[in-house]
Amino acid sequence: MSESIQRQTRDLQALNTDYASKYGFHDPVDYFHKGAKGLSHKVIEMISRMKKEPKWMAEKRHEALDIFYSKPMPTWGDSELLNEIDFDNIYYFMKPIEQQKDNWDDVPEYIKKTFDRLGIPEAEKNFLGGVSAQYESEVVYHSMREDLEKMGIVFLDMDSGLKKHEELVHEYFGTVIPTADNKFAALNTACWSGGSFIYVPPGIDVKVPLQAYFRINAENMGQFERTLIVADKGSRLHYIEGCTAPVYSTNSLHTAVVELRAHEDAYIRYTTIQNWARNIFNLVTKRASAYKNATIEWVDGNLGSRLTMKYPCVNLLEEGAKGEILSVAFAGIDQHQDAGAKMIHAAPNTSSRITSKSISKDNGRASYRGLVKVHKGAENCKVSVECDALLIGDDARSDTYPTMEVDNDQVSVEHEARVSKVAEEQLFYLTSRGLSEDDARLLIVNGFMEPFTKELPLEYAVELNRLIQLEMEGSIG
Amino acid sequence: MKQNPEFLINEMTPHLHRGPDWLKAMRRSDRLGFNEAELPPRGIHLWRYTDPIRFMMDIDTATDADFTGALDAVVKAEAEHVKEGRLAALVTDRGGRDIDVQISPAGLPQGVIIGSLSDASESNFDLVKEHLYQMINRKSGKFEAMNGALWNDGIFIYVPDNVVIEKPVHLFREAGGENSATFPRLLVIVGRNAEVTLIDEYGGGSPDRNKGISFSNGAVELFGSEDSRTRYVSLQRYAPAMNSYFTHRAKLKQNATMLTIPLVFGGELCKQSFGVELAGAGADSKMYGLLFGSNRQHFDNHTLHHHSAGKSTSDIDFKVVLKDRALSAYTGLIRIDNKARTCEAYQENRNLLLNPGTRAETIPELEILNEDVSCSHGATLGPIDEESIFYLKSRGIERNEAVRMIVGGFVQSTFKLVPEDLKDRLSDFVATRLETI
Repeated sequence: MSESIQRQTRDLQALNTDYASKYGFHDPVDYFHKGAKGLSHKVIEMISRMKKEPKWMAEKRHEALDIFYSKPMPTWGDSELLNEIDFDNIYYFMKPIEQQKDNWDDVPEYIKKTFDRLGIPEAEKNFLGGVSAQYESEVVYHSMREDLEKMGIVFLDMDSGLKKHEELVHEYFGTVIPTADNKFAALNTACWSGGSFIYVPPGIDVKVPLQAYFRINAENMGQFERTLIVADKGSRLHYIEGCTAPVYSTNSLHTAVVELRAHEDAYIRYTTIQNWARNIFNLVTKRASAYKNATIEWVDGNLGSRLTMKYPCVNLLEEGAKGEILSVAFAGIDQHQDAGAKMIHAAPNTSSRITSKSISKDNGRASYRGLVKVHKGAENCKVSVECDALLIGDDARSDTYPTMEVDNDQVSVEHEARVSKVAEEQLFYLTSRGLSEDDARLLIVNGFMEPFTKELPLEYAVELNRLIQLEMEGSIG
Repeated sequence: MKQNPEFLINEMTPHLHRGPDWLKAMRRSDRLGFNEAELPPRGIHLWRYTDPIRFMMDIDTATDADFTGALDAVVKAEAEHVKEGRLAALVTDRGGRDIDVQISPAGLPQGVIIGSLSDASESNFDLVKEHLYQMINRKSGKFEAMNGALWNDGIFIYVPDNVVIEKPVHLFREAGGENSATFPRLLVIVGRNAEVTLIDEYGGGSPDRNKGISFSNGAVELFGSEDSRTRYVSLQRYAPAMNSYFTHRAKLKQNATMLTIPLVFGGELCKQSFGVELAGAGADSKMYGLLFGSNRQHFDNHTLHHHSAGKSTSDIDFKVVLKDRALSAYTGLIRIDNKARTCEAYQENRNLLLNPGTRAETIPELEILNEDVSCSHGATLGPIDEESIFYLKSRGIERNEAVRMIVGGFVQSTFKLVPEDLKDRLSDFVATRLETI
C-alpha cells in the first residue's frame, strides 16, 4: 500500500503543474459567430434566427427572458457572490464552427487539440457508447456507436434534437423544469444552446455510458446548455458529463438546465464531474421525474468553479419510484460549493436516499442545502439523508441546511450529519505504520470519498482521485 | 383581538414612560426598532412556516388585561410547595403587574435578589443597566423590539458569586384573557460559581377563540458567569386560544454550565426561539425539549447554539409528539466561529406522528467555520409503531392507553438526561399534558 501511496505522491508532484496548464489553457479562436456582450430580446432573436428553430421555441425564449428580468436574484445562499455576476458583461452566444462534425478528423485542429488534451477521444474509444463535445455555445463533435443507433436510441445535441425530433422535444421540453421555476432556469430557457437530447426506446438497455463534455474557452462566456433525457418504459441509461474551462481573471457563467424523465420501470443514472475553472459561476437546475417503479440516480461531483449552486432533484411521482442522490463537493481556496439534493415524494411507497460528502479546505466553504418533502397521501415512504463533512485547515467552513417537510404520518424519515476534521488517531495510526503525514491524510480523504468514487466508471474514479490528490497537495498545516 | 399588519406602537403608550431615564431611552429605541422594521419576509426559513401577522396586535388590544382567576388554584398549590420548602420561592407575574414574591420559610441566601424588574432598574441600577437588552433588543428582530418597548414589569433574579439556591424558584406568569396582549420579561444574572434552578411557567390566555384570541410576547435573558450552574425550565401551557411569541437568550462564560428544558404544550400558535452563546472555554450547554401538539395547534421552535469560544460543548435533544392536525416546525442551528477551536456540538430532533393529518418540518442546520470540531446532528420523523400497539392490545391494553405508553417510552430517553431532583416535577407536567393526548 505504501508503495502505491508513494507512486501517487510522485504523480502528485508531476501534477503540480496545476489546473492552468492541464485544463486552463485557451485557444485563440476565430469564431464563426461571436455576438456582442449583454442580453436583450434582440440577442435572443439572433440566436433563434441562427438556429432556424420553430416559432414555438422562439416564443418560449422571449417569454423566458421577460420572466428572467422580472425575477429578483435569490436572497438565500451566497448572495454576496451571486451579486458579483455582471449580466451585461457576458457573451450569450458564440458559435465556434459552422457545422457540427461526426468525424473526429473533420474537427478543426485547435478544438481537436483541446479535446485531445482533455482525453475525450481516448475515453470514447475505450469505454463510451457515444460522445458529444460542446465548445462554447454549440456541440462541435458528436458521434455514437452504430449498433446503439440501430437500436433506436437517439443521442443528439439539443439543437439537432429539436430539428430531427421536434415532436418529442415539444412534448417534453420544460415539463420537468418550467421556465418560471427560478431566475436561472428562465435565463437558460431564454438563451439555451447545445446540451444533449437523449431518447431511449422502451425496453432498451444502453449498456455503455453516453458522455457529453462541456468546454468553455472564451473569457466572459456564458454557456447555457440544455439537456433533456427521456427513458421510455423499462429502458436503462447511464449518462456522464464533464466540464472544464480556461483560467481567466474575469468570470464566466455556466447556467444549465437538465431535465430527466424516467417512465415506468426505467432507470437513469446521471453522473457529473464538474471541474470548471475557479472563475466560473456554475448555477444549474437539474431535476428528474420518476414514474411507476422507475429509478433515478444522480451522481454529482463538484470540484471546480468559483460558486456552484446546484441541487439535483427527483420528483417521485408514482408508486414504487426510487431516487438516489450521491453528491460530493470539494471546496478549496476561495471556492463556495453550495450543493445539495431534493427529493419530492408525491406518491405512496416511494423511497429515496441522499448521501452527501463534502471536503472544505483552506478558506473553502462547502454547504449542503437540501429538501425532503413528503406530500399528503404519499404513505409508506422511506427517506434517508446522510451528510458527512470533512474540514481541513483553520479557515475551512462547512454548512448544513437540510429541510424536511412531512405532511403525513405513515413515513419514516431519517437525517444525519457529521462534521469533523481528519481524526488524529487515524493519522497517528497511519504515520506509525511509516506513511508520511501527507500520504496518510490523502489516504484518509480518499477513504472518505470512496462511497462516491466507487460509483464512477473506472477512468473517472482514477481521474477524480488524481484531482483530489492535486487539491490535497501540501495540505499539512 | 384584531391582527393589524400595520400596527405601530404609539408614542403615548404608557409603558414607554416607565422606569429611569436610561430605561425609557431603551424602550423608545425598541419602539422605533419595531415601528421601522418590516414584517419578517416569509422567504427566509425561520418564517417559512408561520405568518408573522399573527403576532401583530391592534391599537385597541388591551395591554393591561383583567384576570379571570382561572389559575388561582395552581398558584395556591405552588404556594403550598413554598411553605413546605419544596420550592425556594414562588414569583407570580400577572400580565406584568403586581410582581409578587413568596419565599420559603428557610429564606434565601444573603445577597440573592428575586423580584420586580422595574424596582431593580431603580435600586440595582448598574447591574440591570449592564445586562438588560444586551442579548434581546431591536437588532434581534421586530417582535423582540416589540417586547423591549412594551414590557410592563418583569422579573429580576440575581444570584451573587458562590451562592447556591438549592430548591427551584418557580416563576408563574399569567397572561390576560381574550383580546389582550402581555409582554413578560425576565433577566437572570448568575454570579461566579453560583447555582440556581428556575421553572419559568407561562399560563393563562383566552380559552376560546370564538370569544377572541389573546397574545403574548416574552423575552428572557440569562447570564451565566464563570463556573456558574444554571438550570432553566420553560413550561409553556397557555390556554387554547393564545398566540405566543417567545425569545430566550443566554450567554455562558468560562466553565459555566446551563441546562435548558423547553416544555412546549399549550396555545393555538406558538413561536419560540431558545439560544445559548458559549462565550468562554469549558462552557457547556444542554437543551432537552419536549413538545406535545394536538388539535390544530401550530408550533414553530428554533434552537441556537453559538460557539464563540473554543473548548465549549453543547447538546440538543428536541422531541416532538403530534396528534390530530397539529403542526410542528423545528429549526435548529449550531454555529461554530472560526476562532472557537476544539468544540463539540450535537443536535437531535425526533418527531413521533400519532395519526395522519399531522405535519412535522425539521431543519437542523450546521455552520462550522473551523476544522477543529466534532459535530453532528440527526433528525427523524415517523409514525407510531403499529406492531407495538398490536402487541400491547393483544395483552388487553386498549389503544389509547397503548399509545400513551409508547409516547411515554419515546420521551423516557429525555427523562434519563434530567437531574434526579427535577424528574418528579417534570414528569408531573408531562403526565398532565399526556392525559389529553
